[in-house]
Amino acid sequence: MKSPFFLLACLALVLPPAAASGQAIDLSSGDWEGVVNIDASVLLPDYREPWNAGQPTGGSGTGFLIGKNRFLTNAHVVSNATKLVIRTSNDPRPHPARIVHIAHDCDLAILEAEDGAPFEKLKPLELGGIPKLNTEVIAIGYPIGGDRISVTRGVVSRIDFRPYSHTQVDSHLAIQVDAAINPGNSGGPVLQDGRVVGVAFQGFSGRVAQNVGYIIPVPVVSRFLKDVEDGSYDHYVDFAVSDFPIENLAQRRAFGLQDNTGVMVADVEPAGSAGDLLKRGDVLLSIDGNPVFNNGLIRMEGELVNMNEVVERKFAGDVLRLAFLRDGKRQEADVELKRFDPYVKLGEQYNQRPRYLVFAGLVFQPMDKNLMDAHQITDSTASYLFDNYLAEKLYVERPEPVILTSILADEVNTHLTPYAHSVVDEINGVKIRGLKDVRDALSREEAGKPFVIIKLLEKGRPLVLRRDLAEAAHPRIMQTYSIRDDAYLGLE
Amino acid sequence: MTPTSVSNKPPRPAAMNSSLFSAFSVLLLAVAAAAQSPLVLRPPEPGVQTGSLLKTNVTYQGHNQRIPWQKESPGSRRGLGVVLEGNRVLVTGQMVADATYIELELPESGQKIPARVEAVDYEANLALLAPAANGKEAAFFAGLRPMDLDTSARIGDALHVWQTGRVGELIVTPVLISKVMNEGYVVDNASFLVYEAQGIIRSEANSFTLPVVKGGKLAGLLLRYDSKNQVATVLPGPIIEHFLKDVAKPPYDGYPSLGVEFQTTLDEQFREYLGLKPDQPGVYISKVVKGASAERAGVRKGDILLAINGESIDARGDYQDALYGALSISHVVRGRAFVGDEVEIRVLREGKETVLKGKLTRKLPEDYLVLPYQFDEGPRYVLHGGLLFQELTRPYLNSFGREQLGGPLLRLARTAADPEEFETEGRRRVVFLSAVLPTPATQGYERQSGQVVLAVNGVKIGALEDLAKALDQPVDGIHRIELREFPRLLHLDAERAAQDNTQLMNGMFRIGSLRRL
Repeated sequence: MKSPFFLLACLALVLPPAAASGQAIDLSSGDWEGVVNIDASVLLPDYREPWNAGQPTGGSGTGFLIGKNRFLTNAHVVSNATKLVIRTSNDPRPHPARIVHIAHDCDLAILEAEDGAPFEKLKPLELGGIPKLNTEVIAIGYPIGGDRISVTRGVVSRIDFRPYSHTQVDSHLAIQVDAAINPGNSGGPVLQDGRVVGVAFQGFSGRVAQNVGYIIPVPVVSRFLKDVEDGSYDHYVDFAVSDFPIENLAQRRAFGLQDNTGVMVADVEPAGSAGDLLKRGDVLLSIDGNPVFNNGLIRMEGELVNMNEVVERKFAGDVLRLAFLRDGKRQEADVELKRFDPYVKLGEQYNQRPRYLVFAGLVFQPMDKNLMDAHQITDSTASYLFDNYLAEKLYVERPEPVILTSILADEVNTHLTPYAHSVVDEINGVKIRGLKDVRDALSREEAGKPFVIIKLLEKGRPLVLRRDLAEAAHPRIMQTYSIRDDAYLGLE
Repeated sequence: MTPTSVSNKPPRPAAMNSSLFSAFSVLLLAVAAAAQSPLVLRPPEPGVQTGSLLKTNVTYQGHNQRIPWQKESPGSRRGLGVVLEGNRVLVTGQMVADATYIELELPESGQKIPARVEAVDYEANLALLAPAANGKEAAFFAGLRPMDLDTSARIGDALHVWQTGRVGELIVTPVLISKVMNEGYVVDNASFLVYEAQGIIRSEANSFTLPVVKGGKLAGLLLRYDSKNQVATVLPGPIIEHFLKDVAKPPYDGYPSLGVEFQTTLDEQFREYLGLKPDQPGVYISKVVKGASAERAGVRKGDILLAINGESIDARGDYQDALYGALSISHVVRGRAFVGDEVEIRVLREGKETVLKGKLTRKLPEDYLVLPYQFDEGPRYVLHGGLLFQELTRPYLNSFGREQLGGPLLRLARTAADPEEFETEGRRRVVFLSAVLPTPATQGYERQSGQVVLAVNGVKIGALEDLAKALDQPVDGIHRIELREFPRLLHLDAERAAQDNTQLMNGMFRIGSLRRL
């Protein structure tokens, strides 16, 4: 349905940033050289044969200069890139570039040219604010439909909290515009009165909706830029609390609420920021002094917005001041905001070398969305674990579930092939909470027990390998299936 | 090595409703296929006339699983019943499921008589009909000849599928038994002996239940026909015999089950780990169902099952049947033994052979945490103030079809597939909030559904009766409903809910009754 626009356009010609909308554009002026085409050579990781380097492919998008040798673009334009080249409208040379910062959760990245000298004289684009509804904007970039730069025009249609499709699990503020935004526009500036009011990043396919394009608004961009000021990107922080509106009068009476303030805390992630403080059944009354209405909204800058908007603008280590009711008593407390990791596995991940471990032809890999998709896992236990990883707090017991993804057939393991896609529970008596546990557990020999015993979740019987046979088969299998390294466990 | 099971896991997940339908549709397809090929029309075998068959017409009406106070639109099924001794008529169980009216019809004269179900077993898919006692039954059955049962059919035997034509003439189609095995019939929770036979069967208008005959005797009933592969699955004589014997000795007990799941032991390294000698037979018991025959006899998970009633079990879980050759051991319990029979189970435990003895029992549908099937009566529910509570059943889950279940339904489906956790919590049923009708009392809850109910007004909910009782005791005029899933907690104004109940019955929803318990 909605897919990040990631594409094959080239060459740069652009609008002078100062040009008022509606004015004709002079491509020869060179004023627009700051809007560049980014050409990415990509290696798509292979989660099925994780020991392989992956599938080479490529793509292209747009970026724009925001400071001295600093180009802003979408994370999805440069994800999994092995080589990046920047091209400008006035210069025939390709300029090799590299990623300085990348934030997958808000689909933004900063690039720098390896040699910044050619860009020194270019004028960076300036950031504006949040445009009003029904005001005009133009989108500039290198979308499909031709090689040279393209300009499209439209108005601001809506400003709302939206899922960002790059990871599929993050939601932030996004601005909907009806200017045509097409594949290749990604990472390009959207301007109003000569200032950047957003970064074009996603839309719907024409079969789903017409004239709906989304841009990343300035508050999200600014947050990213501020986050990386210290030299590294720290990710968004999460409140990790689910709320349920208190619309029902009996519900309101039961909680002893007098007016329209207060939303029920329906769930609290134990590993989240408020895990130690809030409980199910508490009533959240205010957040940083903003009263929370019974539908979970707060009034901010005159408008009703989701209470998470307060959290959106904060950084790791920032404090959130909460007021809440518990058992009819009002309490106040501060919560230090932190990142909530478990949900990241449920979304697409990039720039990761797939982790795996092979033992006697049994391939073990950590569960995440990339893996589930690549192997098309439909095993009922594995799907349940994945689907309810958060809802049932399964991450507490198994921070990194390990799946026996495939069995590379050999005499030693031929009876085990039907157990592919099972979740690994225990190996040699060691509970498997992550891929590293697999390595440690496999090397654990119990005196007098010549077997490696692998217990799978809900599979009725353990998988048993005679250690001597397995160890003898291991090098043979590695050679037969052309596997160079028997494990990649990540950076230790 | 594929995990296999005896008697407690369905080998073929199938919804009753949908298999009825598919049985019907394959037969209809067969008509189209037969149009191009010459008809298989043979004169009746010597001494056998249509005098043993009755057209059976059933009108049925199922219950709506998701709107439990409503019934579905009625439909009809037509099939052939087999006349047995004592003016009884044998049909498949699925013929009479949810029946509202049953009649028997003489194929030639078209004369009809109402009938009732005397005995039915939906797991074995068999039903015995008796004519209504209206004084005409003796005359109706006067010209009919009861059929005898054949239990001797085996692989390679030729059988004949019987159908009747428009004016009652017999249409005979030959089929050849190619396999004998254990398979699920029409409900999910049980598997039984079947014959698989090859042959092209054309379909007549009334061909829901068809007799399959060997040498003039009833060898089985046609269970389903796969026209693509031309494979007929036959509910065989031995299972019918078991049913009739059981019916003859009331009360009807049904088919016993052992209540274990086992895994094959073909894998040499696994065998060595289990301490099995290279040529030693047996299967690894991976699950023992609580309260079932095996558990009562002392079978434990991890035992190696060596023999049942003297029949040795190989590494695949088969025994050597005198008639059929290698056959799943579950037939020894399910097809050959009766509830209450002594059973002797030989297991290998910690390297030592042990003989365990016990009595065979049957797990009744109502013994399941999640009802495996339900016919003839409606789903149980409590509707209060607009909140609709139901007990989780297979038919409820099946009503969503085979579409990918997500969110709350996926969790409910998992509960049904793996009920142990809930059973150990002392539940008899899983009660869940299935829907919310828009009333003033349920303002704000309209989109909730699929959450398991943990407690109401402080009372733990183990079945729908608990919930009905707990709703009589609101605290300070408010019902407090604790759910296992988001949003975990709902409150309902007791007085408002009572008013809304009146509205639900008399207002636009026209709900006849607020509960069925």
